[in-house]
Amino acid sequence: MIDNRSQHQGGFRIFYACLLVMGANYFTVTAVHSYPQFQEFTEKHSGQAANCAMCHSNGNGPTGTGPGQIDGLNEEELKRLEEARKAFQPGQKIDSPILNEFGNKIVEELGRKEVLALVKEPEALATKLNKNLDTDRDGIPDAEEYLDGTDPTNKFHGHPWKMFLVNLNRYKQHILLTFAAVLLLNYGLGHLIKGIAVLTEKR
Amino acid sequence: MVETQKVDSTEPETGNASTGDTKPALFSFLLERFPIEKMNFHYMVEKKEVPVHRMSWGYYTGGLTFFFFMIQVVTGLFLLFYYQPTVSDAFLSVEYINNHVSAGPLIRNMHAWSSSAMIFFATVHLIVAFAMKSFEKPREITWIVGVLLLFITFTFGFTGYLLPWNQIAVNATKVGLQSIDNLGQYLGPFSHIPVQLRETFQGEASVGQSTLGRFYAMHVVILPLALVALLGLHLFQVQLHGMSKGVDEKTKKTEKFFTAFFFKDLEVWAYAFLALFVLASCIPFESFLPFPLLEPYNALGATPPGIKPEWYFFFVYYPLEMFNFLFIIIASTIVVAILFLTPWIFKGTSRRNLRFIALAVSAYLIVMTIFGEQIYHWWKH
Repeated sequence: MIDNRSQHQGGFRIFYACLLVMGANYFTVTAVHSYPQFQEFTEKHSGQAANCAMCHSNGNGPTGTGPGQIDGLNEEELKRLEEARKAFQPGQKIDSPILNEFGNKIVEELGRKEVLALVKEPEALATKLNKNLDTDRDGIPDAEEYLDGTDPTNKFHGHPWKMFLVNLNRYKQHILLTFAAVLLLNYGLGHLIKGIAVLTEKR
Repeated sequence: MVETQKVDSTEPETGNASTGDTKPALFSFLLERFPIEKMNFHYMVEKKEVPVHRMSWGYYTGGLTFFFFMIQVVTGLFLLFYYQPTVSDAFLSVEYINNHVSAGPLIRNMHAWSSSAMIFFATVHLIVAFAMKSFEKPREITWIVGVLLLFITFTFGFTGYLLPWNQIAVNATKVGLQSIDNLGQYLGPFSHIPVQLRETFQGEASVGQSTLGRFYAMHVVILPLALVALLGLHLFQVQLHGMSKGVDEKTKKTEKFFTAFFFKDLEVWAYAFLALFVLASCIPFESFLPFPLLEPYNALGATPPGIKPEWYFFFVYYPLEMFNFLFIIIASTIVVAILFLTPWIFKGTSRRNLRFIALAVSAYLIVMTIFGEQIYHWWKH
């Protein structure tokens, strides 16, 4: 009797364990579900190589045991992840450990529901993002950086021509001063040469 | 033209010293290249004149190369204050320079932009000197030293590329060192030499701390010392033998090297500085690379796509990707040999023909640098 009951209990234990594994498996699969559609679009649109580091903490994406990856998160980070997952509507403060500043801002701006819907049309992300959103403050809006395939979290990375125009305006005083210094220097040198020439002729 | 005067004598351009028949050939050769009687301030500076003609702009290319080298030295010294040559800290120290050091990004950008400018002008200088037949007797040593300086400049680029220790830096260095290794299979009994050479540069089984330490030592000590020594010899020869005639026809005008040409050189340098300042302030050099290549190197991660060397190696990189390795090695060896033997191979060639060759070489370099990738894809398909 005792043996039978224990066998019966053992059967239940196996059943529960299987359920647990399946549940965990389901949870893990949904948890690590990343959206390569955005990366694929930006690479195709810009002709530049891009990786998960555009939106994620880890360049290899959220799967794995490395820093910023699901299996490498500590308890506190897992809590933050769970909080971020609940943000289906826009306007909520997001601090997901698997996303970088840009990734968090996308979810903040649009809400998770909208982001999931955009997976089918990743090109629309650029139009949906706020035009004033500039995470790295390099002067190029994040939406444009997404289209250009440049890093929206690195102020030294952007489309070279756009960076040139933005920085030319930003550092115009320095550039004007340098320009004036060079002109004055060359004006002085030119007159020095003429002066020396006159002196040489006199001699 | 200020301080310009008519050439009134038929003084030979070279101003060779008289050599007796009894002197050994090597001694005579050296005596002509190092004429002791001309080694004085009066002859080398005061009396020196620069021909004025349609190719005169070519005389400024050497000065510009020297100017960008000086920028490299000054900005490099500033970077030395903060850069840490260890695999754990190299990337972080570069990040620190970029984000926390006052004017750090500007200095770093100036270093990067001027390195490219130095290589660009060194190459232009070599091509122009070739077209102007500036290697003519007694300027053979000037030419050979100039070729060595160009190679050192390229080595500066190769060693400096590794220092930020990001994905492209380490992976591109691996590819570069591997190509030295590949050379061994064609050298038969000497096949161990490239392997030993690669191991000497690399310092360990793979590109790691020893490699970084050795590249750093080469970049900041060995190569600068070698360059300064050779540059001294190069400039000494230039001052000793004067500027080459440059054109086939007789030049009607000349100008004093000091002060006219020297100050004009300074004017050109000032404009070059302005251009460099604007570029370094406005366009971060790294913005030309895809951002995944700028991530810190991860020894356990996969090699990211798009690894390629700096633009100034494209002329040899894309042919290496397209053709047989042995063919490229043979072609490169021939080109290097021709470069060193130019003063003797093209001794009797007219400047007109030299200009055609120089134009063809320039066209190849421009096409391969700008359209190399497209040509490579077209070739592969």
